[in-house]
Amino acid sequence: MDRRAFLEQVAAWSAGACLATPVFNVRSILAAEGRAKGNPLLAVAKGKEYAALVDRALKPLGGMAAFVRNGDRVVVKPNIGWDRTVEQGANTNPDVVKAVVQRCLDAGAKQVLVFDRSVNDPRRCYANSGIQAAVESIGDARAQCVFQDQNKFIPVQIEKAKSLKEFLFYKDALATDCDCYINLPIAKHHKLSKLTIGMKNAMGVIGGNRGEIHKGIHQRIADLNLVIRPKLTIVDATRILLRNGPTGGSLDDVKILDTLIASADPVAADAYATTLFDMKPEELGSTVAAAKLGLGEMNLSKVKIVTA
Amino acid sequence: MRRLLWIPWRWWRRIAQLALLIVFVWLFRRTEYSGAEQLPGGENMLFRLDPLVGAAAMLAGRQVIALFWPALVMVGLTLVLGRFFCGWMCPLGTLLDYFHGLLRPITRRTNELFRPRLAAASASPLRGARYFLLLTVLLAAALAFPLVGLVDPFSLLVRGLAFVADPLLYRGADACFVWSGNGWAATALQPFVKKHLLPFRPMVFHLAGVSAAILVIIFALELVARRFWCRYLCPTGALFGLLARRSLVKRLPVRVCKACGQCAELCRMDALDPAAGLSPQACTLCMECVDHCPKGIVKFGLKRKGKSQPRPIDLSRRGVLAGIAAGVAIPGAAVAARLGHESPVPPNLIRPPGADDEKTFLSLCIRCGECMKVCPTNVLQPAIFEAGLAGIFSPHLVPRLIFEQSNCEFGCTLCGQVCPTGAIPRLAVEMKHHHPTGKSYFDHTRCLPWAKETPCIRCEEMCPTPEKAIKVLNTFKIKKDGEEVEIQQPYVDRDLCVGCGICESNCTIDGVAGIRVQRVDAPDPGTETLLKKKPSQSPASK
Repeated sequence: MDRRAFLEQVAAWSAGACLATPVFNVRSILAAEGRAKGNPLLAVAKGKEYAALVDRALKPLGGMAAFVRNGDRVVVKPNIGWDRTVEQGANTNPDVVKAVVQRCLDAGAKQVLVFDRSVNDPRRCYANSGIQAAVESIGDARAQCVFQDQNKFIPVQIEKAKSLKEFLFYKDALATDCDCYINLPIAKHHKLSKLTIGMKNAMGVIGGNRGEIHKGIHQRIADLNLVIRPKLTIVDATRILLRNGPTGGSLDDVKILDTLIASADPVAADAYATTLFDMKPEELGSTVAAAKLGLGEMNLSKVKIVTA
Repeated sequence: MRRLLWIPWRWWRRIAQLALLIVFVWLFRRTEYSGAEQLPGGENMLFRLDPLVGAAAMLAGRQVIALFWPALVMVGLTLVLGRFFCGWMCPLGTLLDYFHGLLRPITRRTNELFRPRLAAASASPLRGARYFLLLTVLLAAALAFPLVGLVDPFSLLVRGLAFVADPLLYRGADACFVWSGNGWAATALQPFVKKHLLPFRPMVFHLAGVSAAILVIIFALELVARRFWCRYLCPTGALFGLLARRSLVKRLPVRVCKACGQCAELCRMDALDPAAGLSPQACTLCMECVDHCPKGIVKFGLKRKGKSQPRPIDLSRRGVLAGIAAGVAIPGAAVAARLGHESPVPPNLIRPPGADDEKTFLSLCIRCGECMKVCPTNVLQPAIFEAGLAGIFSPHLVPRLIFEQSNCEFGCTLCGQVCPTGAIPRLAVEMKHHHPTGKSYFDHTRCLPWAKETPCIRCEEMCPTPEKAIKVLNTFKIKKDGEEVEIQQPYVDRDLCVGCGICESNCTIDGVAGIRVQRVDAPDPGTETLLKKKPSQSPASK
């Protein structure tokens, strides 16, 4: 091979390589499913046995089979944001996560991914929250608690957004890659947004500079939820954090409620969970903003609440 | 005995080299958080085997460091066996051997080119260089000035690997993963490679280029002569060599046969002189001369009869004087030029948790890079000139280096577990919280709620102390357009602050953060100008 041929080949290969590098560009997103007509259903269950509690909370909604179909790729998104233990109530309860993942598998899910974008070192959060061990203890290769891959944050334009027109989202959590997104937040105190419940949990599937969200946080959280549309929201209120959230750390700030709230309506779930803190749904800016965007029902008198 | 179990001795040496290199890489890979608060231990063993590092740290720190007991074992073994460490154990030596072998077609020719020049009398200062370095390092250490980390082979190796090779490896593999898409490689290969072969994430380090350049030079010197670094420069090797001068086990015969002299040609350490015979300071017991002796008379053993004549140390009188001068002058000059640790400590020079006062810390720290390698958040960075000339490569916290990631984890104590000298003490988590790395101060000219009446308090959200060290004042502000807004203005309760820097790292404004960590012993920076007096109680959080 002479020099010219060599250079030509290098150029050709490099060009091919550059063009072949995957460029994700999900622009106009993602079949925004219309909301079911009529009053949304919301189930509240209370009990000490958390695995059974998940079943009881899901039963009025038609069980997990109403959300997960056979062969679905499911994402279960708990809060694994903090390097805290179960008792400190900063992350979703691992028993609840495990039960939900198991129900998804029972419903025939092809794959169940559990992940979060942790604030503290993800290894520490995954380990100390107990969630990684809980998912691994199921012993099913379809269910995996995985660390996020930095290559998978892709830009998404949010067309109906009022404040956040474009942001980076985690590809596996988008409707392109996930058939059923189950939001599994924990209800906690949060000084800036007052509470962090279901909709703020979308912070764990976005990339880039999350500090941006804090500038006009209520509207921006609602805007994120135009993209992340959970089919099912289960609010973990087995332990709630009353003060010093969302990090917590002191057991004095934790209140044990042994409660789960389940609904297909993310706004209704947040609205109801707000009442556990002796607050009104309209006190939470993100709930109000989301209701205005048509993401769900915040007026609890219009929500059919079933105690399961 | 020319063979052991029918395997030639040089093969035993090669097996040991490979095995210990694998152990070294395994320990290096294990120097990472893996789900347990306590590391299994032994990650820093390489440094604790090194008597030079131990002597320098103990001299400079003015204390006996029990962690260095393995170095004492090495000293004992060297007194008996000679400088075997360099030939059989040292991972840098092994890598140099492999590198040399890999480039044999080139190195053979270039080495031939340089051979007469190295043998010439004009090259004699080179032969004394390692003793010169050794003397300088130990004298400087005696004057409490740390130099050992700049020349110690393990520090150079570990820093080079941790700061450059590891991140490169991750990024290279990651690029391959992106390319390979979602095929079998993604499903089968990726998880295995990520879990067992790669670091958890690609770290970023200051001085990566310098660390790489030093290693590149050490390896490039193989072109001049085989084991150039070990022969002429390595101060640890020099110390082992001095201990080996009257070692019991020696190559026999100590003379080189006049008729043949092949072994002198063959010796990678230039330890055999046709006229003067064996130099035990140089011989690393590589066993090549045993296996290649055409007559089969060379062996290693106890010399019983006749007196063994240790060769004089290659350091001339002039060299000794220069070494003494350098060892005394470098600390003196650094202090005189206010580049050493005598000068006031910069307020934002945040040392790892539990570190003693700056002077003690600097004299104990050997710049091995272990703490920076193990730090899960990458917040520990080698100092460039922040700590003066004396502090180059010493670890400090840089919370703003990697956005949203660089903070000292509240529950993590790994740096203290890997520190081979105790410069960063081994602390239980609760004790760590009683040794704050620093204290945070708001900058009211930058912090959004203070400077621009914009709601933010992300720092408060992140603050990890069970009772938040960042508290909030609810104040009413009138904006320019006349609108009255209620705004949460944060302030620091410095009794609670542990100086982890998560507030600074996560501050939402770009560039210089609106809240910054300062040394505990630094004066109030005076940036909290709008807060008239410290609120005694936080009305908002109760």
